[in-house]
Amino acid sequence: MIETMNKVVKGFCVGLIVIAAALVPACRSKKAPPAPKVAPTETTASVPNVPTVATTTETRVTNPPDFVQTQTTPQVTVEQLPTDVEELNRVAEQRGYLQDAFYAYDESTLTPDAQAALTASATWLKQNSQYNMLIEGHCDERGTEQYNLALGDRRANSAKEYIVALGIDANRIRTVSYGEERPFDPGHDEAAWAKNRRAHLVIVGK
Amino acid sequence: MKRLALLALFATSLHAQTQIRPEITKQQAATIVRIAVPRPETTLPLDAIEAPFFGPLTRDLAASGVFAIAPIPPNIPPNADLAKAAGADFVLALRITPDAQDDIVEARLVDPTGATQFGRRYRGTPAALSRMAHMLANDLVREMTGKTGIFLSQIAFASNRSGYYEIWLMDWDGSNQRQITNHRALAILPSWSPDNDRMVYTLFSGGRSEMYIINRRGGGRIHVQTGVGLNVSATFSPMSNDIAFVGSIAGNPDIYVVRDDSTNLRRLTTSYSIESTPEWSPNGRQISFTSGRSGTPQIYLMDAEGTNVQRLSFEGEWNDDATWSPSGEEVAYTSRVNGRFQIRIANVITRQSRIIAGEGSNEQPAWSPDGRWIAFQSNRSGRWQIYRMRTDGTDPSQLTFAGENKEPDWSKKSE
Repeated sequence: MIETMNKVVKGFCVGLIVIAAALVPACRSKKAPPAPKVAPTETTASVPNVPTVATTTETRVTNPPDFVQTQTTPQVTVEQLPTDVEELNRVAEQRGYLQDAFYAYDESTLTPDAQAALTASATWLKQNSQYNMLIEGHCDERGTEQYNLALGDRRANSAKEYIVALGIDANRIRTVSYGEERPFDPGHDEAAWAKNRRAHLVIVGK
Repeated sequence: MKRLALLALFATSLHAQTQIRPEITKQQAATIVRIAVPRPETTLPLDAIEAPFFGPLTRDLAASGVFAIAPIPPNIPPNADLAKAAGADFVLALRITPDAQDDIVEARLVDPTGATQFGRRYRGTPAALSRMAHMLANDLVREMTGKTGIFLSQIAFASNRSGYYEIWLMDWDGSNQRQITNHRALAILPSWSPDNDRMVYTLFSGGRSEMYIINRRGGGRIHVQTGVGLNVSATFSPMSNDIAFVGSIAGNPDIYVVRDDSTNLRRLTTSYSIESTPEWSPNGRQISFTSGRSGTPQIYLMDAEGTNVQRLSFEGEWNDDATWSPSGEEVAYTSRVNGRFQIRIANVITRQSRIIAGEGSNEQPAWSPDGRWIAFQSNRSGRWQIYRMRTDGTDPSQLTFAGENKEPDWSKKSE
């Protein structure tokens, strides 16, 4: 009820303002150019008791700042050439120096096969103390992305813990989880999924 | 609405005006306002206003859930006669006038008695014509419902169409898609700040995942330093400068909160299980999250300090991606049903839930700021794309087509 009253009062006031504006053109803001009439003339001029709301407020519209960053520097295409570490990773993977650990669905515990793979990798790390290691946790596509990012973190860390327990300095090993963002096999069957549930070992420089 | 039209016809204008707002507000969900929208009176060539202004305006109104556009009989000027002839509750009389560098848009809502119920003038350069159309549609929806429309809201998402996953933006209707990060790495999980000015996301680079904040007013990107690993699923508090996220120490992912200036790190969960995917309630008092503590991923709620944990989801053996409706009454989440993910909406108090079934796997729901729509990602086309549907599952439409697109987050405001 009070709201209704307010509306009436408001409508009436607005009506008054509009009428005043129509009667005293000099009162108009100087900025606004002679704007075409919006309210029907008969409403504003001659029927004071009809509170037709000709509330023509003007809004200045500009496009707001956007997140798009303008490119100010000239574009340069850069191509990466393989570094020694990348070459080393290729060789280490081919020859089985470093072996990834694979996991069961929605699991981060190490199977006997995963333990054997990590033991072999730890042996190589022990003999090549000039290198550090990044362990990437990966998941198959069957879960949800956000939960799988957390699951991948747990997988990478279960592999790290195992290698550290075999005598490798924990400071030599970093972990990252890619969840299901970077599958090794893009397929959508169990064979692909099994390949994608892994802790992937990558050699990095000191 | 019939009653409204009758009132408007037979009562005095004073009467009609005092009745309109309460009448509509009470029944806003059930009431559809019939509106006739003739093309604007203008000296400009029609094609200068059709695509930038009239098209977006009529699309917005048709999708508003508030207005139904009435077909217009020919050769009647845009006044009360047209409202009567079209059987419409209102005629939207539009005039576009060029003025120096600007275009001026005048809009009046005229009812069948000839009374003007709404009048507003918008001024801007021709480049701002689309914005004027969306502003007008927003204002018209607010006039009828008391709540502003969503036609200036935007959806952030991750897209790999450039060759890498980067953060992108689009308008609410899928138009104006643009890339806003250029890391050439892996940038995902964008989340809006409550004031629409900032966005937080996770960047994977150099074997690390870190959170960054960008501001649409410039100033470069800010690295949120937490001292813990993972740093994913970041989300701004609606009430403070806090960011909730998933952090991890030694393989134990938990819900953490950190201030946007990298100070005041707090750990909210302490369970040894996996915790992920935090989201604040609209009043900032609660946080929903996913936990594997029962053996499978399920949705839980807790107070914003980490206390008073309650389980929300009991159906299905994998639930994730919980997100609160703007009213705070419901939570939408991803729920596996018969081997496929679907969007489920649960009432926070009663715990009753319903599935919005669709083709393919459907994940990562995001509410529109008015609570009428849900954006989500689906692989129903064979690749991940972003779609939008009403909260009852009707009117689905695909918003992205190039590359793969995922993780939609709808801006909290429409401006």
